[in-house]
Amino acid sequence: MTQSQTNPHPTPSAASLVSVKDVSMVFPTGTVALQNASLEIAAGEFISLIGPSGCGKTTLLRLLADLIQPTSGSIRVGGKTPEEARKSRAYGYVFQAPTLMEWRTVLQNVMLPLEVMGVPKAEHKPRAERMLALVGLEKFARHYPWQLSGGMQQRVSIARALAFDPQLLFMDEPFGALDEITRENLNLELLRLWRETGKTIIFVTHSIPEAVFLSTRIVVMTPRPGKIETVIPVDLPQPRNFETRETTRFFEIATQVREALRKGHGFDVQE
Amino acid sequence: MLSRLRSPNLVPMLAVALVIAALYYPLMLLANVPVAQRALDSGAALPCGSALECATQLRSPVLPSPQQLWTGFANLLFPLGSPNAIPRNAAVTALETLVGLALAAVVGFFFAIGIVASRAFERSLLPWIVASQTVPIIAIAPMLVVLLGQYGVQGWIPKAIIAAYIAFFPIAIGVAKGLRSPDPLSLDLMKTYNASSWQTYLKLRFPASLPYLFTAFKVAMTAALIGAIVAEISTISFQGIGKMLAENSRASDVVATWVIMIASAVLGILLVALVGWLEKVVTPWKR
Repeated sequence: MTQSQTNPHPTPSAASLVSVKDVSMVFPTGTVALQNASLEIAAGEFISLIGPSGCGKTTLLRLLADLIQPTSGSIRVGGKTPEEARKSRAYGYVFQAPTLMEWRTVLQNVMLPLEVMGVPKAEHKPRAERMLALVGLEKFARHYPWQLSGGMQQRVSIARALAFDPQLLFMDEPFGALDEITRENLNLELLRLWRETGKTIIFVTHSIPEAVFLSTRIVVMTPRPGKIETVIPVDLPQPRNFETRETTRFFEIATQVREALRKGHGFDVQE
Repeated sequence: MLSRLRSPNLVPMLAVALVIAALYYPLMLLANVPVAQRALDSGAALPCGSALECATQLRSPVLPSPQQLWTGFANLLFPLGSPNAIPRNAAVTALETLVGLALAAVVGFFFAIGIVASRAFERSLLPWIVASQTVPIIAIAPMLVVLLGQYGVQGWIPKAIIAAYIAFFPIAIGVAKGLRSPDPLSLDLMKTYNASSWQTYLKLRFPASLPYLFTAFKVAMTAALIGAIVAEISTISFQGIGKMLAENSRASDVVATWVIMIASAVLGILLVALVGWLEKVVTPWKR
């Protein structure tokens, strides 16, 4: 009994930007990190992968990014294999930690991908400055990372991921280490960025409210073995704001996610 | 008065110096009094009355008295350019040390890249590198000088090479550790950019290794200085701190030997401070 038979979540069919078909990932230790996962993502979506530790959400993201390779199944990113997509620099990746280079100023950090990718030198500075303005950090261009708070550092890393204008943004619990207040602010900012830039975002999180607030669809994942439990569409109207969190519909969807997690014994998620 | 010193780091250093000075004096007396007593008993013509008084004036003291050290410094520091004074010889030794360190940096850097880039390199060569460091420098120095002499390499250059010989090891190990220091996520980040191996070195591994490089430099600097001095002592030398040490110890001039020893310690402190200063200039992002 495979996952794809019991729960055929794939919805957007014709023009999927990301297509995951029956993908499994077994680590050399024997851990089944992901079992028969299938998922279709259309351009312009904001997808959250939610679930407790060990449910394979980070694994799935790393598979899409070609940072690891699946044991079986097939993945397409923008019609290409993950490796081709990575080599054609099709996506930006934001990690759990800001991973800024301490020897570079904020501006130089945002310029890093442009330097690596051979963008004409004259464009580096103006583009990096534009990205910093997008995340509201233009005043901190000359600071070193250690002079910034954790939330600001993570914003720099988002600006860096956007600097080379990829269609796709992979975000692996980017706000996981931040306090609730900073996190809610950054959620709002991220939604604004998503609307303004029209990117497709795949976002890994531990937090139900964060997933409901941000997503167009929520992929609920459960552990041991890691698998996709269900996919829940989020029909909250755009643009969303602080009041969105107070609506009945918000709580209904949050409850739906919580129940799906409980069904898959995945209930050690942070509220 | 101490608060007027520009660097606050000097205060604790001077405090330690004071403690050492306070402890040194009684220790010196304890060591010298029996010798002075024996000299008095043997009826030697001494310009002093009691053993306690003579203890600070012995020609060959066990430990020189502060007054003797002071006079010794006064005698050995001037004239500045004299071939028998400390400044000129210290400059030669410093040159050997610095050239040796530069040489060690180049060689150490290549070894570090080899160690990081290739397991085979590490497995095949690292044991030999370790072995090379266990050979006593005092044994290998004269042979190296003979060998280099065959090819007309003479004077201070062989000493610099010997300094490099013992200084490249801490640099190689330190830089290898630094090149491996970037966290896995940073390496993943470079991978998502499809960065080449060279770009990963240039943009990530080299800059990340700089703090390790300077720590290694500090260790290597003291090693190089010892290497240079030992090389001067164990080979034919016409200049350098090592040559002065060898000469004065052959002449049983205890006071001069102590003075030169202290001078070489000061030279070591200055050279390591130079690395610290360079580190501040090269890594301005550090807090």
